[in-house]
Amino acid sequence: MDRKTKTLILGLGNALLCDDGVGIYVAGELKNRVDRPEVTVMETGVAGLSLLDLMVGYDKAIIIDAIQTTDGKAGQIYRLDPKVFDTALHTASAHGIDFPTALEFGRKLGLHLPQQIIIFAVEVSDVNTFSEECTPEVQKAIPRCVRMVLQELKSQK
Amino acid sequence: MKKISIDPITRLEGHGKIEIFLNDAGEVENSYFQVPELRGFEKFSEGRLAEDMPQITQRICGVCPEAHHMASTKCLDDLFHVDPPSPAKKLRELFYSTFYVTDHTTHFYILAGPDFIMGPEAPVAERNILGVIAKVGLELGGAVINTRMKNHHIIHMLGGRAVHPVFGLPGGVSKGLNEDERKEVEQTAKEAVEFAKLSLKVFDDIVLKNKEYVDMIVSDAYTHRTYYMGLVDDKNRVNFYDGKVRVVDPDGKEFAKYAPREYLDHVAEHVEPWSYMKFPYLKKVGWKGFVDGKDSGVFRATPLSRLNAADGMATPLAQEAYEKFYSTLGGKPVHHTLATHWARLVELLYAAERLLELSKDPEITSPDIRTIPTAKPDEGVGIVEAPRGTLTHHYITDENGIIKKANLIVATVNNAAAVNMSVNKAARALIKPGKEITEGLLNRIEMAWRPYDLCLACATHTLSGQAPMEVVIYNSKGEVIEKLKS
Repeated sequence: MDRKTKTLILGLGNALLCDDGVGIYVAGELKNRVDRPEVTVMETGVAGLSLLDLMVGYDKAIIIDAIQTTDGKAGQIYRLDPKVFDTALHTASAHGIDFPTALEFGRKLGLHLPQQIIIFAVEVSDVNTFSEECTPEVQKAIPRCVRMVLQELKSQK
Repeated sequence: MKKISIDPITRLEGHGKIEIFLNDAGEVENSYFQVPELRGFEKFSEGRLAEDMPQITQRICGVCPEAHHMASTKCLDDLFHVDPPSPAKKLRELFYSTFYVTDHTTHFYILAGPDFIMGPEAPVAERNILGVIAKVGLELGGAVINTRMKNHHIIHMLGGRAVHPVFGLPGGVSKGLNEDERKEVEQTAKEAVEFAKLSLKVFDDIVLKNKEYVDMIVSDAYTHRTYYMGLVDDKNRVNFYDGKVRVVDPDGKEFAKYAPREYLDHVAEHVEPWSYMKFPYLKKVGWKGFVDGKDSGVFRATPLSRLNAADGMATPLAQEAYEKFYSTLGGKPVHHTLATHWARLVELLYAAERLLELSKDPEITSPDIRTIPTAKPDEGVGIVEAPRGTLTHHYITDENGIIKKANLIVATVNNAAAVNMSVNKAARALIKPGKEITEGLLNRIEMAWRPYDLCLACATHTLSGQAPMEVVIYNSKGEVIEKLKS
């Protein structure tokens, strides 16, 4: 590839809702640490179709978000390939505006959307309390997640 | 008693749960629309600087941050006793109109559209936006995306960033428009007007020309005679940004008209033990339970309500659409909840036309965009029409502008009682003894609340949050006898 991979780092969540803000905090930290013209770092609380709007024009997207799994331990970080959502895609697409559907919608319309999407998901415990801080285990995961994203960036052109 | 749960209900912003209880005969005994609503935001606001509220409150919700931002900004004008210069008011309305274009477009095509374009009982795998574009064509899908993007770009231009704008300030706005930017807004507005006209045509072709759909819209299952609320200008025309709140009774006669500061004289909140959500009602009529009619204080605040509560639209094409709406549906007011989808498109056209008018206003590029507040802050109320209904912000501060008390009546909450009634009525009409409870039937019940464009939890947002819809049916002993999963 001649030109550099235009990359969007997107922290998702709601910074008023305790652990739900973890993606926002990781992105905030990355803003200070990433200084490459082809990389944009953004924080957002929007979902679904609005995410699609933000991603148009990028070659690669790195998304950081909160996740809650059945047996997860708060603070665990998963590096997910959206392919794992393939199974979820079809159940989810019945529900309107979730992200995989939005992505498929955009691709059908021929929008320039990231070819590669990597998701860093941080296992969280509290997303229902109004608070501008994460719970301690999730707080500790923030610098770890930042390092993982930086590592991911290092491995690309 | 049998219990049917629809949990979580789909295609709304946030999470909710509908529980339907059947009696031994298999008829609907009662139903409850429950919301695991996040609580405590008002408490969270205490001790903060009032001027931070337009930034903080818009983060409550990832769906309509602009509505909270604008209600909060207007509340600060009142709190600091400052009147913004005319260009600032126009810029705010321009910003707000462009936001309406995006939000109403999303609701119609993404959330409401699948039920009509694919059909209420189409297989779930097709009843979504992908099915919609497969049917109506990629071109219209492209127009949806294009309209959203261009209008988002205006929000970005004025608000300084793509989401969570930094635009409204007490006494004005942070940024104006230069001539190049103005031209871009004008071009976007022209396209938005065409898109809105096209959308009304789509509605006409797909819904109004289909007798089955029209029968469904006017059917008793989806009808309630309630009071209606909406902001109006000084000629009683629909306004999203400013004006007085007008309430009409179920016969369409003006019942009340009040300035934002007087809202507590008119609206009170009823509490039920089974829901965190409060149920606002008209104080001067009183709470009579989940019933409609003139004696019940239940009101609705939706696009349909705004049309009912006004005498017309302030722009020519929207006025034409308004007249067609009422002549087709048998005069004012219209009580058919499903007609809200049509009303939303009439409003889409108004928002686009208003955007175009404002983009050509000679004052719109004026640099006179702020009056610096000098008075001591004490108390303020700001009301705007959020796309989904009337939105009220009320703050009380100390003399340094530190919040002592905040009260927010968010758009969805206004409609809480009506949503319950709508779900209950549809369930009673559709669930009959011996009739199989199919996914399509349950979707028809969901269609009773979808017109309200509910925005519930205002943005808890985790990756795994999108659980599939599950329907559980219990027998009278509380045992699960059937499970339906989409």
